[in-house]
Amino acid sequence: MLPWVFAALAGFLLIGNLLLSPHLTAPAVTTWSTIFVTICVQAIPFLVLGVTLSAAVTAFVPPSFFERALPRRPYAAVPVAGAAGLVLPVRECASVRVAARLMAHGVAPPAALAFLPASPAANPVVLVATAVAFPGEPLMVLARFGASLVVAVLAGWAWQVLGRPVPPRVTTAPPVPEGATRRAAFLAAVRHDFLHAGGFLVIGGLAAATLNVVVPRSWTTSLGEVPWLSVLVLALLAVVLSVCSEADAFVAASLTTFSPTAKLVFLVVGPMVDLKLIALQAGTFGRAFAARFVPLTLTLAIVVGVLVGRVLL
Amino acid sequence: MAQNLVLALVGGALLRVSALSTAYLNYVRPGFRAPLVAAGVILFALGVFGLVQEWRRPYPPSGEAATRRRSHGPRVAWLLCLPIVAVFLINPPALGSFAAARDQRPQPRPAGGYGALTGDAPTAMPVGEFIGRAWSDGGRTLAGRRVKLTGFAVPSEHKGQWYLARMRLRCCAADAFPLKVAVLGVPAPRPDTWVEVTGAWVPVPYDRLPKGTAAPALTATALAKVARPAEPYE
Repeated sequence: MLPWVFAALAGFLLIGNLLLSPHLTAPAVTTWSTIFVTICVQAIPFLVLGVTLSAAVTAFVPPSFFERALPRRPYAAVPVAGAAGLVLPVRECASVRVAARLMAHGVAPPAALAFLPASPAANPVVLVATAVAFPGEPLMVLARFGASLVVAVLAGWAWQVLGRPVPPRVTTAPPVPEGATRRAAFLAAVRHDFLHAGGFLVIGGLAAATLNVVVPRSWTTSLGEVPWLSVLVLALLAVVLSVCSEADAFVAASLTTFSPTAKLVFLVVGPMVDLKLIALQAGTFGRAFAARFVPLTLTLAIVVGVLVGRVLL
Repeated sequence: MAQNLVLALVGGALLRVSALSTAYLNYVRPGFRAPLVAAGVILFALGVFGLVQEWRRPYPPSGEAATRRRSHGPRVAWLLCLPIVAVFLINPPALGSFAAARDQRPQPRPAGGYGALTGDAPTAMPVGEFIGRAWSDGGRTLAGRRVKLTGFAVPSEHKGQWYLARMRLRCCAADAFPLKVAVLGVPAPRPDTWVEVTGAWVPVPYDRLPKGTAAPALTATALAKVARPAEPYE
């Protein structure tokens, strides 16, 4: 059936090009489509790079590497795991798999939980994308990096201090591919992760274009004048849109009427808490875990984001 | 199958706007062509490679259910067809007067530090430089000079004037903001017409601007239609 769907799509594009294109010239439509296509076009190269590196790390770096690298004591292991997360480009969904694998191999849960938000939030690819999205504003990159690291470490420690309220339930560790199948696993991961992240990128692009063109400018301007409200709105937007961390800086940059602090909160919250991650964490570690870990990281991300924004931006 | 087709299509659309045309200049900064071409080639190759692999393996190796599950990519991936449709159907142009007119914020005040202009002929300069010269150092470098600016026409809410505008990119067209100069003395062209205006700055320094002024003004002496430049943004 699928080939026919695509044949129909191709036919639609060819005929539409002749019949519809001359009529799709209303300024609002073309402006909306320009912003939508721009966000997709600008973000896809970073997405490809991030997906490729992330798949390489998950396919070729064995969990024993982390076991050897991490200190035994949980309080010391948390910052190291957080820092490892910042260096290794592991994407949102992959980082849940990696964290589950780490716990299955006996790494202290708080350390694995520090890795979980740190890696997608501020790895090198994400920081380069942020620098490109905010040219001439190096403080935005620094603020994102710092705030994400602080949130990750605080989340890990809070979990330890609170006495590990609910043990994350890891039923089965995802298998680590071996030898010849690694290459196939790598390609399959690239393919799957790109399509998954690309789909959410499109949602982000649709939202950004609509906010820019359809929503009256006076609304977003007056919203931007109430600092705490604009922070909460962008935090909520980050949770709902679920744009991946390589691409969210471009969505944030398009929200030109919002304050830098609100944009920073968008960038810190997005990679740590969003709808797809909540579903994934609940599925991997259990509902009881997600019901506690998600509000914890969300609160920390908003508070730390606002504080760092106050100081740096 | 569906996964690989979507990948190949996305790669093809990327190559169409970057390698096969200059449409990418409507969306991103000129230096971004190489990453776009690279990403397009990778996605296209990944998709085609996957399709070839599936073609050469006609029978499911380990049970039909397993194959069916594997070939189902994430559902959200179907959304990637939307930008492809937009690229092929709407062929999104560079941002124009609609976007420029929506953004009513006053022009940002530049730092200054411009050198003196020389020569008798009208000096051609970017719109951003004109705003910078007009609003820094009391506009000294523009006093008594004639300049030539190129941009597109934007209607104004005030009578007897219109705006000559150029969009400026920070990262890409998604965060573009308009550089505007109010033009007096010549009738307004149709919105989005690209024109070259010759004229002189209306000498009102930044400190003495009436409240609510959004842009410096120019009294035009000549107006000529020009072709849209290859790089539409400043």
